Amino acid sequence: MIEEFSKFPGIGKKSAQRLAMYLFRSKDQDFQKFVDAVVALKRDLHSCQICYNITEKAICSICGSEKRDKSVICVVEEASDILHIERANEFRGVYHVLGGVLMPLKGIYKEELRIQELLERVKTGNVLEVILALNPDTEGDTTSLMLMKELERFPLKVTRLARGIPIGGDLEFSDDATIGRAMAGRITVK
Amino acid sequence: MIVRRLTLHDFRIHHSTEMEFSPKLNFIVGGNGQGKTSLIEAIYFLCTTKNYKGAPDTDLLRFGQPGYTVHGVFEDATENNVHIRFLADENRRIYIKDGKTVHRAADIIGAFPVVLLTPEDHALTQGAPADRRKFIDSVISQYSSVYLDNILEYAKVLKQRTFLLNRIKENPGRSLTAELDAFTEKMILTGSAVIRQRDEFLQEFKSFVEEVYQEIMREEESPSMHYQFLEGAAPESDISALFRQKIYARRDDEIRRGMNLTGPHRDDIDFGINGKSLKSFGSQGQHKTFQVALRFAQFFYLKQRSGKTPVFLLDDVFGELDAHRAGHISRYLRQVGQAIITMTDLSNYAYLREMNESRMFTVSAGTVTPA
Ligand SMILES: [Zn+2]
Repeated sequence: MIEEFSKFPGIGKKSAQRLAMYLFRSKDQDFQKFVDAVVALKRDLHSCQICYNITEKAICSICGSEKRDKSVICVVEEASDILHIERANEFRGVYHVLGGVLMPLKGIYKEELRIQELLERVKTGNVLEVILALNPDTEGDTTSLMLMKELERFPLKVTRLARGIPIGGDLEFSDDATIGRAMAGRITVK
Repeated sequence: MIVRRLTLHDFRIHHSTEMEFSPKLNFIVGGNGQGKTSLIEAIYFLCTTKNYKGAPDTDLLRFGQPGYTVHGVFEDATENNVHIRFLADENRRIYIKDGKTVHRAADIIGAFPVVLLTPEDHALTQGAPADRRKFIDSVISQYSSVYLDNILEYAKVLKQRTFLLNRIKENPGRSLTAELDAFTEKMILTGSAVIRQRDEFLQEFKSFVEEVYQEIMREEESPSMHYQFLEGAAPESDISALFRQKIYARRDDEIRRGMNLTGPHRDDIDFGINGKSLKSFGSQGQHKTFQVALRFAQFFYLKQRSGKTPVFLLDDVFGELDAHRAGHISRYLRQVGQAIITMTDLSNYAYLREMNESRMFTVSAGTVTPA
């Protein structure tokens, strides 16, 4: 169990020991609740067929909403980034979860990402703008550069989030106002 | 800015050492291996979060102890406290600035500018190009956090791109052209910014070195320096365009060798004396003078750029200078700010003791005594 917890992001060996110990000492009914929640997580949740957001249905509530503008697609690294952007309440379009960024050292190349799926969406839908909202770090920037090239042949606008998210900063650690400003002041790159 | 106090616990040979410094000259006298260099090491560490000898924390820790603490009190218009703690069983370092834990080394680097002169400085003019790049990187990083971010980012790009090039070399079947193009463009973007900042720095720094030659070294000779980038590009080139042209031209070569062959990681500086290359024609004395001049120029340049007077650390360099020149440099240092100077032997420099506001310490087996 300790070994399994250690695989979690941000959990070291000591924290893993504490978590395992907590579970071991918890009351039977609390423990069962935890087990049920873990099982339900994999059973009930899956990726949205359109944008790869995490959802309980086939299509997520954002893609399914009539109020969302389907002509603007915001590309993010992970589904968790959607939560951060949604919290800022600035964006009314839809998303596309890339599933990571280029990282040769970790064996992540173009084919490991949902780039083909994005291009399919752009080809078939009436997409007018693609916003690249990847984290502004080395790999995120490089992936944005590749996406800009891939999107070159389509008649649409490509934008990137404005600065404001500090260099090396993550969407995850930026406050709502910062994300809101970055979204509002996005820069056209094509 | 001055360093007012230094406290060490279980750092190198020091069990428990506390020192109060003079705002002017401080001389630390001791034999080899008695712990004088570790005092310089500790101050440099507090200012830069780096060990200039590249020693791992386990080497810095006094044998058999659970952790070390280095604590410095810096005085400017305000007083600042910096602690660096190392915990052996967790194998991690903690930085605390004014009571708050600091998570990015970049939040400390540059706050307390420092200039260090050591016997290893021979590498500045006589070492490999990497030694000169390290020199300019350490100077610019102390006043520009943008530059520090750029070189860290550039290093990451190089690492990923090297791996990618080798992957392409080993698997010619899988097309990774789009990936290589993307990392190439990122390298051009970040690398061009690094080159522009280095160029701008060296343009200004040049005149500081010339001035130091005349004012401090009192040399008749005239120093020069030429920045060598992108395989000998002209200074006024369009850097991004040239970088792009060169790097795409060498693509096959890069894949064949699995190496990044073009970019600021291959830069160099060509130093000269009276129009002749220092590296090819310089005497031992000319090299030494040039190295000291570079450090003094660094001091004045940082002072101007950051608006703060750096602390000057001189580790065991008086042994290489004649008494006359050492005295001249000491008197000069006293006028410009605070200096901390280590030496093995005082006999040749007894007159230094007479200088106003200077303080003398002796170090023996990790114990510091005011003399
Ligand atoms: Zn969806």
